[in-house]
Amino acid sequence: MRRFEYHEPRNLEEVSDLLTTLGNGAFILAGGTDLLVEIRERLRDVKHLVDIKRVPGLSGVDYADETGLRFGAMVTAGQLEAAPGLAARYPNLHGALKVLASIQVRNRATVIGNICRASPSADTIPPLIADGAAIETWRPGGGRVIPLADFFTGPGRSVLTPGEIATAITVPPPAPGSRRAYIKHGRRKAMELATVGVAVSLDTEGGTCTGARIALGAVGPVVLRAPRAEAILVGSRLDAAAVSAAAEQAMQECTPISNVRSSAEYRREMVGVLTRRAVSQAMEVAA
Amino acid sequence: MTKQDFRIVGKSVKRADVIEKVTGEGKYTGDYHLPGLLHGKIKRAEIAHARITRIDVSKALAYPGVKAVLTHHDVPKVLHYGSPHPRSASCTKDQYILEDKVRFWGEGVAAVAAVSEEIADEALDLIEVDYEPLPAVYDIDAAQAPGAPQIHEVGPGGNLVIPPVHIERGDVEKGFAEADLILEGEFEGGRPVPTYMEPNVCVADWDGSNKLTFWTSTQTSFMVRGALAEVLGLPLNKVRVLVDHMGGGFGAKQDLFQHEFLCALLARKCRRPVKMEFTRRETFIAGRSRHPFRMWLKQGFRKDGTLVARDMKVIYESGAYGSHSPGVTNVGTASATSLYRCENVRLDGRAVYTNTPIAGAYRGYGVVQTYFAIDIQMDEAAEKLGIDPAEMRLRNAVREGDIAPSGHPIVGRGLEACISHGIEAFGWQAKRGADRGVAGRPSVRRGWGIGCEMHGSSAYPGIKEQGNATVKMNEDGSVTLLTGAAGLGTGAHTALAQIVAEELGVTFESVHVVHGDTDVVPWDIGAFASHTTYLVGSAARMAAAELRERVLARGAEKLQEKVENLEMVDGIITARDKPGTSLTVHEAMGPSRGIPAEHLIASGSYMPTKSYSFAAHFVEVEVDTETGIIECRTVVPVHDVGKVIHPIAAQGQIEGGIQQGIGHTLTENYVIDRTNGRSLNAGLVDYKMPLSMDMPDIRTIILEAAPDPGGPWGAKGVGEDPIIAIGPAIANAVYDAIGVRFHHYPITPEDVLNGLRARKKELQDAGI
Repeated sequence: MRRFEYHEPRNLEEVSDLLTTLGNGAFILAGGTDLLVEIRERLRDVKHLVDIKRVPGLSGVDYADETGLRFGAMVTAGQLEAAPGLAARYPNLHGALKVLASIQVRNRATVIGNICRASPSADTIPPLIADGAAIETWRPGGGRVIPLADFFTGPGRSVLTPGEIATAITVPPPAPGSRRAYIKHGRRKAMELATVGVAVSLDTEGGTCTGARIALGAVGPVVLRAPRAEAILVGSRLDAAAVSAAAEQAMQECTPISNVRSSAEYRREMVGVLTRRAVSQAMEVAA
Repeated sequence: MTKQDFRIVGKSVKRADVIEKVTGEGKYTGDYHLPGLLHGKIKRAEIAHARITRIDVSKALAYPGVKAVLTHHDVPKVLHYGSPHPRSASCTKDQYILEDKVRFWGEGVAAVAAVSEEIADEALDLIEVDYEPLPAVYDIDAAQAPGAPQIHEVGPGGNLVIPPVHIERGDVEKGFAEADLILEGEFEGGRPVPTYMEPNVCVADWDGSNKLTFWTSTQTSFMVRGALAEVLGLPLNKVRVLVDHMGGGFGAKQDLFQHEFLCALLARKCRRPVKMEFTRRETFIAGRSRHPFRMWLKQGFRKDGTLVARDMKVIYESGAYGSHSPGVTNVGTASATSLYRCENVRLDGRAVYTNTPIAGAYRGYGVVQTYFAIDIQMDEAAEKLGIDPAEMRLRNAVREGDIAPSGHPIVGRGLEACISHGIEAFGWQAKRGADRGVAGRPSVRRGWGIGCEMHGSSAYPGIKEQGNATVKMNEDGSVTLLTGAAGLGTGAHTALAQIVAEELGVTFESVHVVHGDTDVVPWDIGAFASHTTYLVGSAARMAAAELRERVLARGAEKLQEKVENLEMVDGIITARDKPGTSLTVHEAMGPSRGIPAEHLIASGSYMPTKSYSFAAHFVEVEVDTETGIIECRTVVPVHDVGKVIHPIAAQGQIEGGIQQGIGHTLTENYVIDRTNGRSLNAGLVDYKMPLSMDMPDIRTIILEAAPDPGGPWGAKGVGEDPIIAIGPAIANAVYDAIGVRFHHYPITPEDVLNGLRARKKELQDAGI
C-alpha cells in the first residue's frame, strides 16, 4: 500500500479547509470499504485521507410523515437497512441495501460513500433517484440541496465543488399507492457489482399508473432515468402490453458499454428483462 | 485387519491444527518478522513481448530507504525450469531469473529491497525501462500460425513447449469402420486460476556461513531447495527451506517462482533478511493458471452404445513459459486412453507458448479439460442412440483389468459402483422423466446431468515418486512423526497421524507431526497429485509397523512375556491371555531396574506405482431463459476413494473441488486482452469465484468400493477428483434443461441467450 497522510478534523469547517488546502490528492474517509481497496490496488492516487468519523452531526436516520426520510453521511448501509419502517416505505432502497456487497461490508460502508463514489453500478443510486432523493451539502458560505438526479456528471464525478461535503440524503415520503422495486443483475448472490440494476418507483391510483420513475444502473456513464419509458407507463393500467412497451423503450434509452463483465448488447437486453420484472415485483409487493 | 477393528482410521478425529488455526496462533510464512527485515517488490513489464534496451535504476537506488535493486545485469545467468521435479523427465529449462527479454505483460524485470513495503513499492516507479517491442501472440491459433513470432530460442520450435505427445492403442480406423455412429466436435476452455487464500510469500535470510534459510508458501519445499541450490550454486545442505501452515495451493504452489530467486538474491546482496509477498493482483499476473485449451474429439459407437474408437487432438496453452506444460500435456493426453474403455485410440497432445501469463499445475492437472470434452460427447452419443446417459456410462465405464493411463491394470469396479449408486441416490430415472418447467417461474427450466471422472493418486509414471516417514517414540511413550509432506490446509497431517496411531496402537492425541523443515524431516517430493495420504501414508504405516515391533519387544522384556503374546491398543500393552498383565507405553519406554529409558526410531520409504480414484457427479441446474443465468441447485457427488481415513476431511475436499469446478464452468475466467496481452480482470472483483451463497446443496456419498493395495488399508487419493466431473455434469444438465449444447467453459449468461436464439432459429428453419 502507498503511504498517505491521515487527518482527523473535528468539524465541517476543518474538513472543508483540509480538502481545499490539500487539493486533488485529498479524499474523505468514511467507511473506507472502497477507498482503501483502491489505494491498495493503486487505482486511486491518494496523498491525504480526511477522516470524518469525528465530525459531529453526520449520524442518524429519521423519518417524518411530512418530510420523509433523512440520513446523515456517517450512516452505514447496515444501519439504514435495519431502520424501522424502511422496508415498508422504500422497498426498492431496502432491496438495494440487502444486495450491496456483504453483511460485513454493509456494517462499515456508508450509503453516502456509495453515492459519492459515483459509480454507475452503485446499488443505492437507482432507487434513490427513482424515489426523488436529494443530497444536502456543506460549504463555506452555505450549503446546497441538490436533486440526486442532477448530482452525477460521469463515472466517479459529481457536481461537488472543492471543499464541498455531502452531509445528508433526504427522500420524500412515499405517496399512498406507491409501488417500488429494485432488481440487481449479477453473477453472484453476494459480493457482487451490478452488471445492470433497475429501480422503479410507481404511483398508482385505482390500478392506474399516475407517475413513474425508472432508474437504470450500470448502463451509462451515470445512473440514467428512462423518461420515455416512464411516459409509456403513466396513464396505463400497468398491463403486460404497457410494461413490455416501456421495457422496450428503456432498452433504447440506455447507453451501455462492453467490458470484461458483460457486452453492451447483453446489458441492453437485461434492461428490458429487469424493467419488466421490477414493475411486476413492485406490484406484487403492494398486493 | 477387518473393518470393525479400526480405532482411529475412518473416524473424523479433531484435526490437530484446528485450535491454532481458529485462534490465529498458527504461523504462516507472512507471520515471520525477523530483526532488520527488508521488503522486496518486483517491477513488472507493461508490455507483452519486448527486448529491454535500457534499464536505469539510479533514481530508485538513490531513493531514501532503498537498500538494493536487481536487474538482469545483477543475477546469475542459469537457465532453469519452473516445474522442479528432479525425478521427472518432463521439465523444461526455458527461463532465467531475469533476462533482457520480456515474454508476457506483467513479467518481472527488476526487484527492489527497501526498509518498508511502501518505499519498495514507490521505488518501482523510479526504475526506467526502455523496450524494443517484439511481435506477440496471444492465443493458440496465433502461436501456431505459419511465420508466428517465436517466443523461445529453446525447445522444438513452432512455439511448442515439448515435442507432441502421441499415444496410439489398437486400430482407430478399424474401430471407426465398425461404428454405427461417429461424432466429431471441438471444445475449448478458459483460464481459471486457483485463488488460494494466502498469496505467494517468502522470507530469505543468509547466515555467516553463507547458508540460506528460506520460508516460503510452497507445496514442494524440497523442490524449492533443489532449484535454489542449483541456480545459486550451493550444495543442498546450505539451503534450508521451511514451510509451516499454508493458505492453500491447489497445485499452483509447486513451481519455482521468479520472486523466490529474487528474494534470496536481494537478501544476499543486502546481508539482511528480505520478505516478498504477492498482492492479490500479482497472484493472477505472476501466479499460475489452469491451461486454456482447444480440443478436437472424434469418437465411434456401436448401436448398443459401445465405444469403439477415439481420435483426439488437444492443445494446451502454456503462456510465456513451460512450467508444468510437459506434465499437463502428458497426463491430459494419456487420460483420454481411459475413463470410458476403448480399444482403439489415437491421441495427440501439444502445449504451445503464447505471450500470456504462465499456466502451471492446478488441481485436475490436464484432465479437467479432456474429460470435459469426452463426457459431453458421451452425452451426445447417448441421445443419438436413444440410450439413457447414465446407462450409457455404465456400459462403457472402465473396470477391473482394463489398462489405465499409467499402463497399469485398473483395480476393482469403482466407476461402475459410483454410477450405479448415484442413479439410486439421486433418483435419476424419476428426475429425468419429470417436467423441465418450474411452477410459478415461467422463464426457468430445470435439467439433470451426469459427469464422470477418474484420477490417479501419485504422478507415476511421469515421476517415479518416493514417500518417506520417520516415526520416533520418546521415553514417555509420546510419538513424533517426521514428514516432508506439506500441509496445504487439506488436513493431510491429521490423516498421517491417524495412520501412525492406528498402526502403532497408540492414541491419536499422542502423535505429534513435525513437518516443513528440509534440514529436519525426510526428503519428500511434495504435496501434489492427490498422493499424500496414499504415498506418505504408506511410508508412515511402514515406519509405525516397525516401531510397534520394537516397542512390543521392550514391553515383553519388562513384562517377562513372549512378544507374540502381546498386543498394544491405545498405548497399553497387554498379554492376551493374562488379564491384568499390562503396562502403558510410558512404562515400557521409561527406565526400570536394569533397563535404561529408550528412544526408538523407525523409518519407512515407499515407492508406489499408481492407483485410480473414481467419481460420478449428478447435478440439477436451473436456467433462467430470459437472463441466461445458470444456477447449480443440487449436486450428488459419489466418490470411490478406497479406504477413507478421515471422512469429514474427505468430504471437505469434495465440496471444495465442486465449488472450484462450478466456478470453472460458469463464472471464473482470467481474461487476457488479445490485442496487447494485458490482464483485464486480475483481481477478485471481476474474477468471479462462486461464494458460499452461490453453493448448491451437496450430498456427498463416499464409497469404499475399490480399495487399492498400494495405499494404507486400501486408501486412495481424493484431492483432485472432485473438480473434474462437475463441469461436464453441469454442461449436460444445461442441455437437458434448454436443449442447447455448450462445448466450452465458462458458459456465460450471454452464451446461454445466444445459444437459445440460435436454437430457436434452427427449429424455425427446420419448420418445427
